[in-house]
Amino acid sequence: MDKIELLAPAGDLERLKIAFLYGADAVYVGGDLFSLRANADNFSLSDLKEGVKLAHSLNKKLYVTVNIVMHNKEVNHILDYLLELDKIGIDAIIASDPAIIDLALKKTNLCVHLSTQACTINREAALFWKNLGVSRIVLARECSRDDIQDILDNVDIEIECFVHGAMCSSYSGRCVLSNYLTNRDANRGGCSQICRWDFDLLDSDFNEIKGDKPFTFCTKDLSMLQYVPDMIDMGITSLKIEGRMRSLYYVATVVDIYRRVIDSYYHDKENYAYNKKYEDILTRCANRDSVPQFFNGKYDSSCSYYNGRMEVSNQDFLGVVLDYDGKYLTIEQRNYFKVGDSVEIFGPGKEIFSFVISSMYDALGNSLEVARHPKEIIKIPVVGDFSRYDLMRKK
Amino acid sequence: MTKLMLIPSDKNFDYKCDSYLIGIDGLSVNMPIYYSIEEVESLSSSKEIFVSLNKNMHSSDLELLESILVRLSKLDVKGVFFYDIAVLSIVKRLDLDIPLVWAQEHMTNNYMSVNFWKDKGVDYTLLSEEISSKDIIDIKNNSDCGLIVPIFGYFPMFVSRRHLKKNYLDRFDLSDDSSINYITKEGFTYPIVDSSVTTVYTSSYLNGIKDFVSFNESGIDYVLLNSFLVSNDDMNKDLNMFYGVSDNNKEEYFDSISEMLGNVDTFFLHKESIYKVK
Repeated sequence: MDKIELLAPAGDLERLKIAFLYGADAVYVGGDLFSLRANADNFSLSDLKEGVKLAHSLNKKLYVTVNIVMHNKEVNHILDYLLELDKIGIDAIIASDPAIIDLALKKTNLCVHLSTQACTINREAALFWKNLGVSRIVLARECSRDDIQDILDNVDIEIECFVHGAMCSSYSGRCVLSNYLTNRDANRGGCSQICRWDFDLLDSDFNEIKGDKPFTFCTKDLSMLQYVPDMIDMGITSLKIEGRMRSLYYVATVVDIYRRVIDSYYHDKENYAYNKKYEDILTRCANRDSVPQFFNGKYDSSCSYYNGRMEVSNQDFLGVVLDYDGKYLTIEQRNYFKVGDSVEIFGPGKEIFSFVISSMYDALGNSLEVARHPKEIIKIPVVGDFSRYDLMRKK
Repeated sequence: MTKLMLIPSDKNFDYKCDSYLIGIDGLSVNMPIYYSIEEVESLSSSKEIFVSLNKNMHSSDLELLESILVRLSKLDVKGVFFYDIAVLSIVKRLDLDIPLVWAQEHMTNNYMSVNFWKDKGVDYTLLSEEISSKDIIDIKNNSDCGLIVPIFGYFPMFVSRRHLKKNYLDRFDLSDDSSINYITKEGFTYPIVDSSVTTVYTSSYLNGIKDFVSFNESGIDYVLLNSFLVSNDDMNKDLNMFYGVSDNNKEEYFDSISEMLGNVDTFFLHKESIYKVK
């Protein structure tokens, strides 16, 4: 059996490189057109060419989301775009609109992965798409372990499941709150995340039902970290991380942790043990609680957020390693840190290295007590095994 | 002549309409009322009956779904609405004689996809509520598939597997036995129903009576009216106006419905949603 694929998101070329470097086997990105994150930076055709070149040079894969639900005006332009993607040599498109799928299968050589937006949750639907020629199905996040296993047992097709990241509160694709409340089309990439808003809840006589926190649809994030071994043993083809609009730090951290867990399990299944520290790192990185959601058939109030919380940006990510000369780390600063802070450096496939910053200097060699300026170049004396694109975070 | 299809709120079948769309226990969502398969088998109506099997079907639903489809295939059902592709898959696998209606709510937005499903054996498409009148007529002009257009009433904006009201009550130790609740935000009120799934509806009734005239002229097969939260009397008045509307009186009828219900909108019939902000 082939090793399970770890599939990461990337919003631009830098994050694409980081995802591969930190252990993704494949990366999915959105193009400028027809992608469900219309407001992300996204990839131009020349970016996609560069991305494919990089992926294939590493013997890895690049998938492109073409996952909007088209209106008539998009119909006339889609084939030209698919032909361009075919020419570039991407490894698959991810689509949900049957018109796009049908065109890709009939008029191009593109492999087609069925997007989670198609909300596939049973073997009958999976069989339909397999018979059509789709090569992989990204299952809906509402699938339980039993739903997934039933599909795996009955349909011979690659199955991809989300393992980490944000959740829609609705069934995939079955929500247009954004359209009605903000005039932004959710199924063409304009989702304004109404499900994270607070509302007043009223009874049938319009009396308010008031708890300690406001009513909301908001859900905790998904984390399947502790179930990775189960998912491998079930026969799933690909484990997908959500988040094409997430930061470089998020992508690196999440890919790194899942890579470690996957490799650790394959290395010695008998003696594999769950590492709680990895879970803590992921929780801090996303700054949101996460749970396994529907996998165990449980989707009660423990899966919901009622914090009335403001999203506070995470300050854990301190800097990117630009260079190491054997004595000094050169760091590009991303968040405030100071002499005396306990920090750790992590990089792909390496042991996490912890130390206390004893001193540091600016690019001209002047001694510093604090690093407070974004993208400032900082030199820190420390001895270890460090490489470009290692990342420094708070311990 | 475009026919009027009604989602009824009671089982009396005494509305003035051409067709009814009804739900079945366990396999339908977003309906004001549900029927058992035995009730459907014993229905005797002179009106056309469509059945909506519009639930997302999990593995555990498939056995029931297959048995219900087999029973429906023996009835004079005019069509079965489906959201989940499992419905189509089973009908084709068992070669059942059931006309199918592709009804994936917010996915039915362009003529190329409509033609795809027509090619797969679908007879009708229920078009999305998020497309314009112009897009609807363009689809008609570019497809041989029968078309059903939502034209009146509250329609679902959001369907979740989660029990969002129940979860909230559980978390904060509250109680409420309302079958229909409401949520409010920025002066707007939205019906919300937490039953087998949680459904949130539009803040206003869709009132597309002015567009009905052009849909009729364009050869649209059916328009769909939802009686959810509309009294029987008001619904019959609405239906009468739809039967009598013309270019000469459509403004007057639009105003009459607005006055009667007080809370109407044309939503996306005459405006485009945007999707790229910057």
